Amino acid sequence: MVTVSRREIGSMLAKQGILIAFALFMIGFTLANAKFLSVDNVFSVVRSSAILGVMALGVTFVVISGNLDLSVGSMMSFSTIVVLDLHDKIGPALAIPAMFAMTLCLGAFIGFLVGYLRLNSLIVTLGMLSAIHGLTLTYSGGQNMDIADKEGTWFSVFGQGAILGVPTPILMFLSLAALLGLVLAKTPFGRKVYAVGGNGTAATFSGIKRARTVFTCYLISAGCVAVAGLIQASRSLGSQNTVGQGLELEVLAAVILGGASLMGGVGTIFKTVIGVLILGFIQNGLLLLGLPFYFQFVVTWIIIILAVWLDIAAKRGKLWSPIA
Amino acid sequence: MTLRSTLVVSTALAALAGTASAQSMQIGITQNNVGVDSYQTTYEQAFIAAAEANDDVETVVLDAGGDVARQIAQMEDLIQQEVDAIIIWPTNGEAVIPAVRKASQAGIPVIVTNSNIAEQGFDFVASFSGPDNITQGARSAEIMCDRFKAQGIDGEAQIVQISGQPGYTTAIERAQGFEERLPEVCPDVTLMETQPGDWNREKSQQVMEAFLVKYDDIDGVYAGDDNMGVGALNAAKAAGRAGDITFVGATNFAVGYEAMAAGEYWGSIYQSPVDDAEAALQTAIDVLNGEDVPFLNYFDTPKITQDNMDEFTKPVF
Repeated sequence: MVTVSRREIGSMLAKQGILIAFALFMIGFTLANAKFLSVDNVFSVVRSSAILGVMALGVTFVVISGNLDLSVGSMMSFSTIVVLDLHDKIGPALAIPAMFAMTLCLGAFIGFLVGYLRLNSLIVTLGMLSAIHGLTLTYSGGQNMDIADKEGTWFSVFGQGAILGVPTPILMFLSLAALLGLVLAKTPFGRKVYAVGGNGTAATFSGIKRARTVFTCYLISAGCVAVAGLIQASRSLGSQNTVGQGLELEVLAAVILGGASLMGGVGTIFKTVIGVLILGFIQNGLLLLGLPFYFQFVVTWIIIILAVWLDIAAKRGKLWSPIA
Repeated sequence: MTLRSTLVVSTALAALAGTASAQSMQIGITQNNVGVDSYQTTYEQAFIAAAEANDDVETVVLDAGGDVARQIAQMEDLIQQEVDAIIIWPTNGEAVIPAVRKASQAGIPVIVTNSNIAEQGFDFVASFSGPDNITQGARSAEIMCDRFKAQGIDGEAQIVQISGQPGYTTAIERAQGFEERLPEVCPDVTLMETQPGDWNREKSQQVMEAFLVKYDDIDGVYAGDDNMGVGALNAAKAAGRAGDITFVGATNFAVGYEAMAAGEYWGSIYQSPVDDAEAALQTAIDVLNGEDVPFLNYFDTPKITQDNMDEFTKPVF
């Protein structure tokens, strides 16, 4: 009896190491400042994390398929600037689909290069990071974009609205996570993504169309970026050209923190969501603690390392490596 | 682009023509990163317009695209072209010093514009033309204090600060000017906390959301520029607390100006990229004419609030 339940606990721990880490941080921060777990604060953190989170959902697909996407930051700047610019020119009802179409084109282009031409995804998306930045600057002429009539537009509903008291960005993030989580875990396409990332050659010989699978992953990633850009644009109704700069690394950090493997084949949407929330709550928790901000960079790093360590330790059932 | 290449070509022709244009000055400029934000874009346009309006001046307009190595190469090109003076908007205050020294040793006066280089390079600089960020911070403190006095809460007001990107001279100097001046004019106002917003509206909005959770009573927010100030305003509006808070920024952006016009944002510092560009060109001309130019040649950046905003045109950036 005892041994069985110990094994059960062990296997539960092994699967949910990152959840335990998350719970520990939440308890720690709440003890430090009681307002940390207030409804207002939780809403505000999840709402802020929604932009990063939506992007991380798409990147999870790309990473599981064994590739990288470093272009999502500048692609998000692009979507944000485009939708804000078109808002005043053709109205929000047309601007949103137009922006989605343009962003998906960028995703399709990357997917074509990585999937069909089999180019290295690091090189392709690193190049696209600056190419899309250049595209955004050319499009905007270097100017900030702002919606002229900020009070009179319904466009603000995606970033500032709420349904039954829950802010729209949170609803969009969570419902997209649920949808993509189902796609990844329950559909043939999801299984192909794992197969292609786990062992591409074996997948090809099993009759899986590898190129098409990778291509679709980049399309999903671009679609998520478009949603993120929509939330971002709607939240502040104006934007700098560099709004998404540097986000690609935060997104990747959240995905890896959630346990997806850079080697491909491993990862889930649920754990990516946890990774996103950990990053968001760390940032917010440190602000509420009021630590000197130069030191916050160090603490953020320490917490991330602790989380990764707890996750790994739970998987192998020991705090340190048995072969060290 | 066409304008820029025309200028380069015409400068090259002028150099070939030699004595024909002996009277005109050749001034080269290497900018930091045109196009990355509206300030720098407007700066370049204003610089070219000012140079065109002056018949005695020929310019070579270059842009480093934020890349230190490219800027150093551009400095060397300008030295090779034997321009009369070089204006540099440093991509990095430390790394460009050797190139500045090289120009100075070649007998070409160097004018630093907008953001100064590090102190160990000062010997090689003819003059610095730009805004005085410490004074800007101090003026923002005065705007905030005057507002509290008018409201009669200068004995108890509590404020927070959202500063620019950590490590940037402009961010450090504005915060310093603000923090030094505030206790002088309003000794009883408490600065509760400072956190960086990285010159980013979205980041600033997140910081302000955390402040609003943490502090039940906030009377004022000082932001290192209007972009961040408007981010903070958005957060306060979403929380329904904007009406109780005085927002003061710096570098008045169009969004800040509009928020002032709407009565939501109290004040800022008017820093025009057009003035910045014209001051840089004028400083270079004055140096070449042998006039006595102060080493730190600041252009004026006045206070702007809801009360006097009619005197200023809306910023184009």
